[in-house]
Amino acid sequence: MAFSPAIADAFAALFLDASSQSRIADLHFQDAGHGFDAFGMHPSFVALGEVVLAPLYDKYFRVRSWGHENIPSQGPAVLAANHSGNIPIDGMMLWLDVLRHTQPPRVARPIADHFVPSLPYLGTFFARGGMVGGSRGNARTLLNSGEMLMIFPEGVPGIVKPWSKRYQLQKFREGHAELAIRHQAPIVPIGVVGGEEQLPALFSSRRIGKLFGLPIMPVPAVPIPLPVRYHLYYGEPIPVHEEFKPEHADDPQAVKEVAARVQEAVQRLVHQGLSERTGIFE
Amino acid sequence: MSAKPSKKTCVLVTGAGAPIGEALVRSLLDDSRIGHIVAVTGYHQDTFPIAPSKRLTVQSVDIGRNRHLHQLLFDTAKTLGVDTVIHTAMHLSATDEGQRVHAYNVDSVRNLMAHCERHPTIRRLIVRSASAVYQVQRDLPVLIGEEHPLNMSGHAPQWVRDRIEADVSACVRMGMSPLQIVVLRMAEVLAPGTGSQLFDYLESPVCFQPAGFDPMINLMTIDDAVEALSTAIHSNEQGVFNIPGADTLPLSTAIKRWGRIGLPAIDSVLTPLYRIRRRLTGHDFRYGMNRRWFIYSGVLDGQRAHEVLGYVPAKPIDWPVRKRVTSDIGRGSL
Repeated sequence: MAFSPAIADAFAALFLDASSQSRIADLHFQDAGHGFDAFGMHPSFVALGEVVLAPLYDKYFRVRSWGHENIPSQGPAVLAANHSGNIPIDGMMLWLDVLRHTQPPRVARPIADHFVPSLPYLGTFFARGGMVGGSRGNARTLLNSGEMLMIFPEGVPGIVKPWSKRYQLQKFREGHAELAIRHQAPIVPIGVVGGEEQLPALFSSRRIGKLFGLPIMPVPAVPIPLPVRYHLYYGEPIPVHEEFKPEHADDPQAVKEVAARVQEAVQRLVHQGLSERTGIFE
Repeated sequence: MSAKPSKKTCVLVTGAGAPIGEALVRSLLDDSRIGHIVAVTGYHQDTFPIAPSKRLTVQSVDIGRNRHLHQLLFDTAKTLGVDTVIHTAMHLSATDEGQRVHAYNVDSVRNLMAHCERHPTIRRLIVRSASAVYQVQRDLPVLIGEEHPLNMSGHAPQWVRDRIEADVSACVRMGMSPLQIVVLRMAEVLAPGTGSQLFDYLESPVCFQPAGFDPMINLMTIDDAVEALSTAIHSNEQGVFNIPGADTLPLSTAIKRWGRIGLPAIDSVLTPLYRIRRRLTGHDFRYGMNRRWFIYSGVLDGQRAHEVLGYVPAKPIDWPVRKRVTSDIGRGSL
């Protein structure tokens, strides 16, 4: 069966070096009894995820990242990043970067749009690597059990925005702020630079997307993503847990304020990244 | 979690002829806090597999008939001073439909509540419900809390609709009734004779799964089901509680641990494929009824049952589940 941990283990043993394998063995993980957590994540598939993504991360997109000390080493947290590039490579690079730069290693649990779990194969593989569907109940459960969420508060409008709007953040949704306040989790703003240029789209079509069960389908100008260099900037955590009490999650003004602060912080990191890079492939 | 005073509890168990009810009766006979037990079975009482005892009364009653139920409660139960009723009876087959099945599944719960509310000795009603009442879909949480949406689809078969109607009928009386009402929404009990669709599915040497999907499921043993019911009997709390099992695993792992071959197939062919299997072999599994559970993950969250009742699943399934002969049903440890 394609989703067998034994197959994932075999790939990991073949292609992952010993130090990475031993790091994965230290993974923060809540086994629900059969080696999987309740959402379907399995350490062997996390290792397989690293095997699959490492060439992209190391060789193709040559990811550079700064500010790893801002990623909480334990406890609930929300990673909030800008979204771009028409396909979610930014999420994959971020997932691997967090995995590699946390000790003990942590899996950032990507919160995906509702359509992702209904994608055959992909939805299941992503779930094995830690992804969960974007429902409030899933996020609440994960934060309550001390997990770290990876959220793109722009949502789909962020990833499919036209070339003319690259690096201009779309309005942040507020769910991540409410969750962080209610569950007393710091928010780590992340600026992702490089993703916008990976797969420029000629246009995006909701009608074509509907045929494939997607909310929208970008029609790319290039056949495969370009080998742009990714730059990831982790900003200082916004200490929501120190400034607000859980009951403030029901205060719309407080939630709006936090969401605006996160958006501002992410935009600042994106500007920093853009000013520091010397070219899209550099 | 609060304990009852020391007076021994007298209980009436419906569905005692089925594996869960029978195992519950056996467990209650070993429980020193329990006084007399009335075991209600749909089969003839002479076929009841537990040996007679001073603490056990076995009655054969068709609970789908209101008059029989009334007589049971206001004759036997009243005389014996029953104070807690545990309703575990459910029509098992998903293939059977119609008014009689509805009467057994739903009317029995309504009638039971109406009679219990007027009853001089009964003060607590525990209704066994099922995780099948919940909706699972892509935009709903994987971990299912008690507030999770129910499967109110008009396309749901009677097997599902009846369970929801019975569950909701009990829930709507909570707080309005003089009774303490407890509804236990149990994970699927993977055992023969329990009406488990998955058990029936796993009886095939080859199990077809929708290609590309491998959802997380939660399964429980009869032992844990009995433990949850016993815990509810000895508690004074009321409300709705999810009762998960100790096994949370992907469907493919369940197939593998059962020793079956899992094969992916296009989702749209599975409904007709399993319909043919049902007609040819007499199996009960209906893919269309379970389709969403075969695509989207759905795992019961037992936090409330843990915090309020003190229930924690403790008996994982001993894979593969031993297929038992009918006379052995409910006696072994699963």
